[in-house]
Amino acid sequence: MRLGIVRGHVTLSPAVPELLGKTLVVLEPVTMVNLVAKNGLGGGKSLVAVDALGAAKGQMVAFTEGREAANPFWPNSIPVDAYCTLIVDSITTGNTQFQESEVLK
Amino acid sequence: MFLARIDGTVVPATKHETLDGCRFLVAQRLEADGSTGPEPLVIIDWMGAANGSTVLVSTDGDIARERYGNTTPARMVVAGIVDHVQIPQKSNGRSA
Repeated sequence: MRLGIVRGHVTLSPAVPELLGKTLVVLEPVTMVNLVAKNGLGGGKSLVAVDALGAAKGQMVAFTEGREAANPFWPNSIPVDAYCTLIVDSITTGNTQFQESEVLK
Repeated sequence: MFLARIDGTVVPATKHETLDGCRFLVAQRLEADGSTGPEPLVIIDWMGAANGSTVLVSTDGDIARERYGNTTPARMVVAGIVDHVQIPQKSNGRSA
């Protein structure tokens, strides 16, 4: 899983039936430099992921990529390759502690 | 599979229902020359990897599916804790 900051939401009209009712978020992956600097920036190439946890704009999430991203919808097949697995409360790396509230803007 | 160094822990506010009680670690992917990748990774660990240790990360979700059920989105898991890595002309121990 990589870490990403929620930058917005996507609404589809029309969409393939499998994606109807799913929440789609725009994520900006976070690099190690930005994570340690706690500057609220991402730095990676943006992508869209399915979110069933209700992540708000500015929150940090960890997202799964690849075929495993479609597992939560098993046994249905769905064209999903990124899925928000958890919403971050806090991260400790080295001697830096990152609180979720520091990124929420 | 690749090698990664454990750099910290993640405390989730909410997580997928299949992952209750999981331990989430922050890891940085290691290259052959000892440098690290640009982005931190969140991996699941049930082997008890310590901060600063080198681990083997598997990106195959099957091992996680066996443990957490068919509907789990878990993918990257600690498959083993590295004791020693040997690269010709260069020998790296635990702090590879």
